[in-house]
Amino acid sequence: MAARVLRPAILLILGVVWLAPLYLLIVNAAKPAARYASDQVWRPIGEFALVDNLREAWDLAGLADAVTSTVIYSVVAPALAVLIGAAVGFGIVALRLKHGFFWFVLVFGGTIFPLQMILMPLFVGYVEADVFDTRLGLVAIYTAISVPFAALVMRNFLGGIAHQVFEAAVVDGASTWRIFWRIYLPMSGSALVAVFILQATFVWNDLLLGLTLSQSDEVRPLMTALTGLQDTYGGSSLVTVLAGGLLVSLPTVVLFLSTQRIFSRGLNLGQF
Amino acid sequence: MRMRHSAVLAAVAGSALVLAACGGGDDDDTEGSAGPGMINFYTDKGAWEPQFLEVSDVSELSLGLGLDFTGYSDADQYSAFIRQSFRTNEKPDLFTWHTGSELEDLVAEDLLAPTTDIWESAISDGNVPEALREHFTVGDEQYCVPMNAAYWVMYYNKPLFEQYGLAEPTSWTELMTVADTLLANGVTPFYETNILFSFVWFQTLLAGTDPDLYNALSNGEASYTDPGIVEVMEQWRTMLETGYFGDPGDQTTPQDQLKNGTVAMINFGTFLSGQLNSVSMVSGTDYDFFVIPNANAELPQTSLIFETGPMCTAKDAENETSALQYAEWWMSEEAQTTWANARGDVSFNPKALVQDQALAELNEQSAGDDYLLLERYFEATPTPVLTAALDGFGAFVTNPGDPMPILETIQAEADAYWSEQG
Amino acid sequence: MSAPATAAPPTSAGGSAPREPRRRDRNAYGWPARAFSLPAVVVVAVLLYLPFLWTTWISLTEYDGLGSPEWVGLDNYRAMFDDANFLTSLRNTLIWVAGTITVPVALGLLIAMLSHGLRFGAWLRLPFLLPYAISGVAVGIVWVFVLQNGGGLSQALDTFGLPGADTRWLLDAPMNTVVMIGAAAWQQTGVNALLFVIGLQSIPREPIEAARLDGASGWRMFRHMYWPMLRPLTTVVVGLGLVASLKTFDIVWIMTQGGPGRNSETLAVTMYEETFVNSAYGSGSAVAVFLSAVTFLAAITYLRRQLSTERTV
Repeated sequence: MAARVLRPAILLILGVVWLAPLYLLIVNAAKPAARYASDQVWRPIGEFALVDNLREAWDLAGLADAVTSTVIYSVVAPALAVLIGAAVGFGIVALRLKHGFFWFVLVFGGTIFPLQMILMPLFVGYVEADVFDTRLGLVAIYTAISVPFAALVMRNFLGGIAHQVFEAAVVDGASTWRIFWRIYLPMSGSALVAVFILQATFVWNDLLLGLTLSQSDEVRPLMTALTGLQDTYGGSSLVTVLAGGLLVSLPTVVLFLSTQRIFSRGLNLGQF
Repeated sequence: MRMRHSAVLAAVAGSALVLAACGGGDDDDTEGSAGPGMINFYTDKGAWEPQFLEVSDVSELSLGLGLDFTGYSDADQYSAFIRQSFRTNEKPDLFTWHTGSELEDLVAEDLLAPTTDIWESAISDGNVPEALREHFTVGDEQYCVPMNAAYWVMYYNKPLFEQYGLAEPTSWTELMTVADTLLANGVTPFYETNILFSFVWFQTLLAGTDPDLYNALSNGEASYTDPGIVEVMEQWRTMLETGYFGDPGDQTTPQDQLKNGTVAMINFGTFLSGQLNSVSMVSGTDYDFFVIPNANAELPQTSLIFETGPMCTAKDAENETSALQYAEWWMSEEAQTTWANARGDVSFNPKALVQDQALAELNEQSAGDDYLLLERYFEATPTPVLTAALDGFGAFVTNPGDPMPILETIQAEADAYWSEQG
Repeated sequence: MSAPATAAPPTSAGGSAPREPRRRDRNAYGWPARAFSLPAVVVVAVLLYLPFLWTTWISLTEYDGLGSPEWVGLDNYRAMFDDANFLTSLRNTLIWVAGTITVPVALGLLIAMLSHGLRFGAWLRLPFLLPYAISGVAVGIVWVFVLQNGGGLSQALDTFGLPGADTRWLLDAPMNTVVMIGAAAWQQTGVNALLFVIGLQSIPREPIEAARLDGASGWRMFRHMYWPMLRPLTTVVVGLGLVASLKTFDIVWIMTQGGPGRNSETLAVTMYEETFVNSAYGSGSAVAVFLSAVTFLAAITYLRRQLSTERTV
């Protein structure tokens, strides 16, 4: 069949176009600072300085301090958000919460506010509540900011599960908790993982919240350290900043790579 | 009933967060504060962390106080953070700020600890020139101390100058001849950008043509639509159209542009030396700088733009006393020698031993009578006017044309501002 | 360590089916339904709505971030609608919305459909997902590389002898907005494709097989089988795109700061400039409130239409 060849071919060509900017990123991050030139960004050069640049970015930005806390934020907060989002989706879709659409819109409405505008009141509130510059405070806000997205995806995904599934389980005498935990969650594997990795990436890459709500090295997330490299008042050479950007992107790239298997599995809800 | 129970649990858990977020505030806050002998220090010059820490190492030995550094790389976020922090019990011990209207804003709300005594002794000890004092004065008192100082000069790529047999110009005509020679050889003479530093050439042309008008403009006595201003803009436009300036949309850093020879000259603050050193250019060999000659040869003194960033202490900050002690030490010869050499910049303290030969000379000369020091446009202009001007100049250098509509837009903003000041 | 008690509601809820007799069928699960929904509502209300309430109040005042806000009523809103730049921002924002709910959505759908069922489908999708995984700092720099005058794009056009190498991509309106939408689409397409893939995976196999046996294929198959069944996820993708595009800020701020001369400014950039650059918190907040209201209306209109019809599918 022609389609069997055509489809991968189109994807491959598009994929190459998509990778072009990434090629620029890697090629230029691998140039020694002295040999980078803005009018020759496509051309790789013989001298390979990627490792040096990575090391320089790592040292200059003091990234080591920030890794632990950032890992905590980008694992715990999205995990909580996924569960909270799935729970509200379950409550609305399966348990048919009264005025469900209203509550759903209320939760999803959390996403309409421009983040920049809630920073200042959050900062003041955090200081007064004694959670400023604490990991607890950051986990809480990262969770909150991830919930609307999780709720939208999970509500719509769970909406695709036939209500008969729920009714059949009730007839079998299962509790609501059990139905949620043992039936609905396992059926939503790929959606849960997708929400998790997308939000984990968001948290990992966050700059604004981390900048505003923390200050000590143990609490401040990674990106705030990284942007110190890029500054109107100097900072580092472009190649170092690029190398730094590449370096901090590695964990999220690995996360995406390692979860691909889940999306290639033919998960079929019709079977349930 | 167990389901009901869990609902209650969830509700309790939920309200715990509400309480956590809304309550508290009366208990003594020790979160994140510095240990003994450490002062919380905030700055929007996040990239200067290594240099600040270098000075902190020295102060820990000689003063017994060190800096607990928190850096921001975004000046706007930083400004908002500092402003809001005064509402909380996390008031900054020591933080960098801007002179001009930004400083007046803080004093107007009585948020700063005065530094009048520190200034008195610093001046009598010869640690700071008397002339600097007025920029730190609001009403009868002084506030903050100078964190740094920088002069705006012309950096140039030395090999390029040698290649075309060019010497440092001593008059505006010579400068234009240098530019023409470079242009004829296919080299772009001057750096230009449409982001943030779009005001630089306006500043240079106006200050070098009519310094009185420059000052009058910044305190609202002159209008942006005055003939003198229009003339300067027209001159700038002619230069832009002649092709004297590099691509304003090129976001390659100025240090890289000078290094690659994309442009031959950059009109910039002396803090560029540090940035040039960081891309391994050597002062006196790869680059050098000269004071920009006046566009108007008739003027008795050469206009020299300078900027200084204050380092301030919040009133009632947790470590107010030691922070002020630190501020006093910061102006000393020891601190300034360390600072200037760590940064590769000049110092406001004439006694500081600046290692970079060219910078050391400038440091000395600038105190003499040949120069008229003018405050940088960025600090001299009130913030809302500045924002409109930066946008306007950015558009002007991108698409040079009739300057009048731009000037009118800026003036409208200025009218609004000055009428509010009463 | 960290997990706040609040954020882990389900783990504390163990339980059996409610013992109450089912008097009214619709509300048989009233309490459990509330319990399951509560954590989301509380977290969002406290950490997102409450701070924005403050912003709303500030929009009715004049405030420079110091001292106390001074009540001015609706002055900030009046000034906002009188400002000529506001209209430019509004226009650019609308271009962003139109661009964002078409290009990356269509491309995402295309990629999801093309890769669906392929043996190495997930791997073929990966190039589209990687841009999302790369940190914003690096993405910003790379796109400046590509789009600045004589940058990567112009160099490439030049090499292949194509016209347009002299275009000032980021300097002239509305070209700058268009190319920035391209950069945003580059980052968003993979995420949309991933969401569509999840939708495709939830489609039951039987009706598809049945349709195939009836001889349906290609476009007809997509139009009548896949498209209707993808609806819940299409709603997600378009709904998110709508909200995100109205709030467009990061990429514009990194690449042009809304310039030159404010010609690529979006509403969110106007809001940011007023608040953070000019320290005019009142006028910045007014733009924020206006922006949020528009976003809310757009989202609720869209979602209501989509969600109320989805059960008929």
